[in-house]
Amino acid sequence: MKSWTVFLCLFVFLSTSTSGSTRAEELNTTNSTETIRFGLTAVVMRENLRFLDQWAYYLKKKIGQPVEFVRRRSYREVMDMLKTGSLDFAWICGFPFVHKRDPEFIKLLSVPIYNGKPLYNSYIIVHKDSPYQSLDDLKDKIFAYSDPESNSGFLYPQYLLLNKSSNKDTFFRHSFFTFNHAETVEAIAEQFADGGAVDSYIWDYMKEFRPEVTDKTRIINTSPAFGFPPIVARVGVDLEVVWRMKNAIMEMNDDPNGRKFLDGLKLDGFGEAPPNLFENIRQMALKVQNVNSKPNLASLNTSANSVTKE
Amino acid sequence: MTGRNFFPGGLSVKFALTITAVVAGVAFTIGAVTVTLDLQRFQHELENKALLLAHTVAVTASEDILRSDSWSLYKSLRNMTNQIPKEMYDTRILTGMIQNPEGIVLAHLNPSENPIGMQPFLPNDLEERLFIASKKALSPTILNSGISLGGFLEGVVPIYSDEKLLGVVRVRLSYDELFLKAQRSILIILGLTLAMVILGSLLGGTISRRITRPLRAMTEGIEAVGRGEISNIKPVPVYQDDELGVLALAFNKMAKEMAEKKSLEDQIAVSEKMVALGRITAGVAHEVNNPLAGMLNCIDTMKQHPDDPELVKRYLPLIDKGLTRIKNIVESLLIELRIEEAHGLDNSTSLDELRGIVESEINGCNIDLVWENHLCDDVILNKRRVQQIVLNLLKNSIQALQDKGTVIFRTFQKDEYVILEVSDNGPGIPAKYKNQLFDPFFTTKTNGTGLGLWIVYRLVESMQGVIEVESELGMGTQFRVTLPAIEMSI
Repeated sequence: MKSWTVFLCLFVFLSTSTSGSTRAEELNTTNSTETIRFGLTAVVMRENLRFLDQWAYYLKKKIGQPVEFVRRRSYREVMDMLKTGSLDFAWICGFPFVHKRDPEFIKLLSVPIYNGKPLYNSYIIVHKDSPYQSLDDLKDKIFAYSDPESNSGFLYPQYLLLNKSSNKDTFFRHSFFTFNHAETVEAIAEQFADGGAVDSYIWDYMKEFRPEVTDKTRIINTSPAFGFPPIVARVGVDLEVVWRMKNAIMEMNDDPNGRKFLDGLKLDGFGEAPPNLFENIRQMALKVQNVNSKPNLASLNTSANSVTKE
Repeated sequence: MTGRNFFPGGLSVKFALTITAVVAGVAFTIGAVTVTLDLQRFQHELENKALLLAHTVAVTASEDILRSDSWSLYKSLRNMTNQIPKEMYDTRILTGMIQNPEGIVLAHLNPSENPIGMQPFLPNDLEERLFIASKKALSPTILNSGISLGGFLEGVVPIYSDEKLLGVVRVRLSYDELFLKAQRSILIILGLTLAMVILGSLLGGTISRRITRPLRAMTEGIEAVGRGEISNIKPVPVYQDDELGVLALAFNKMAKEMAEKKSLEDQIAVSEKMVALGRITAGVAHEVNNPLAGMLNCIDTMKQHPDDPELVKRYLPLIDKGLTRIKNIVESLLIELRIEEAHGLDNSTSLDELRGIVESEINGCNIDLVWENHLCDDVILNKRRVQQIVLNLLKNSIQALQDKGTVIFRTFQKDEYVILEVSDNGPGIPAKYKNQLFDPFFTTKTNGTGLGLWIVYRLVESMQGVIEVESELGMGTQFRVTLPAIEMSI
């Protein structure tokens, strides 16, 4: 029965992905056969293909329209696809969300509830055998960031470096991006990098499913709580579709099948974003960008639209 | 005899050793060549594999290097190690790295010791040498540490973009499998060689035994011949129709012929003895019969005329003479009895006593006697025996001269021997008589008994001496008696 379901999922997935065209999506039609394209970033474990296929099938059942999860390497690519209309929805990070956009092309749909709150942290991790106890110890060492547009994997460590005496760009001897929180943990575990910054949700998730990797790492710094990476909708998407999507994901907790997916994601559910959820991220970004002296980055989106029931 | 079946340096050992050595040599050579070729092929494969792996990384690396994407470079190295399925038992990637042209690490599979942005860790001269060589590699190159346990080879492939050198990929594969394989092969070869050696020695032993068995039998046969056991030689078994078989057959034939000859000789010797005995019997009969007939006549006549004192007066001396002659003959025949009894020892001057007797014998004849006794006084002689020898020889010579000539008697000592020489310049002995010279009752004289020289011969023989005769018709005869000095005193 289970294999039959998987087969069906795959069949649906394949047939919809071949029939759907990006041009058509931009037309915002309410045609129920139109595939909804949902972008995923490094904020979730994107490698679990079967899980995502099943989830897409679940959402299709709820919404009445095929859903396709689209994976891209960087946040930037996903944001660009949202901007061009190649995606209808996306699970992005708080950092790109607080960026100033003119015209605005995304609106907040929902925020995952993690450990009872829509919050997560950034961990600064090192190899468990290394002598490093704080970020200061990592001076002139090799540091792994996850994505240049990641809050936990880039913005927060950049913000921490603002308080250091030396230039934040030269504090580390060498730094690189893995474009994937899980791979950042791997880079530390394999000692390719001396330190790295990761999403606490991903690290905890890995600790449960890949403990042999996380066991080789040690957390030396935990950030204050930040708003959990939110799910956003493209501004141009049919409001009816947006509303159905919002209901579908927010009611997952009440549905036995939906509950399984939440368990798989290690989330409590999806909820409404409280006001100013991403305020501290915005403040951090401002400070970092001020130091970078990039005038156009000084003004950030202070009041991102939120999807509310009309 | 059993101890002689095995000679430490014998043919059977040499043969077995030679076959063993040849077999071992061949087995080892073939094995060594096979192993060498196998290892060469294996090393070549390993080199190709190293270069291929390095290539797969180099292909994608240029883009990542240009973008300074250290993580992607590292991942491509990591993926490379995952590319090798576990079944490829012979390939173990020890490490892999990407360096920029200056030798700075861009990514390394052992990042804890070789962090990016620095030179790789160079703990020893070998690493230093390989590092320098890798920086100079402008085309795919193989570097290696030499085949040993822990050894490795390195495929070095440079990364180019638009003909600009961006760096090199170094992939290091372990030689351990190769080394262990070589070790295994060598062990197998040694095992095989050992087995071959055992087989070869068994084979060699068997073959050499088969070859030397007839030789040993022949040796035993020849030794038996040496000991005089000619009639007792066991025939050599003939195993095969080869050279040795032919030799064995020839030997058996020879042994058989020798045995036949020996038996023939024995028969001849027996018949010669019978002939000699017959001659003695005939001689005795003849010599005794002659005087007996005369004496019986005398007695017969005296019987018819018992009262005729003239007859007694005339015949009694004749009977006396006849009986004396018979007595002398019997005494001569019993010479051995006499000489056995004769133990009287005297010094060499006792010989000179004979001179008078001899001179009286030649009295009235035109014969010169030369007497040269050169023996020292301290030479001790068996007087009776030696005197008899000398006297008989001298009488013989005097009779041979027939009233005219010279007789020389000479004695001297030579080393351990005493030499007695009697020579005359008489008519010499015809060659036809030479073989019968010392036979009993052989005589050319009308009134001779034919026992003189026979007595001399028996006496000389009894003293383990030698008697030689040199004679030439018309020139004379010389008898020479050589007696061991030590025997003289017995």
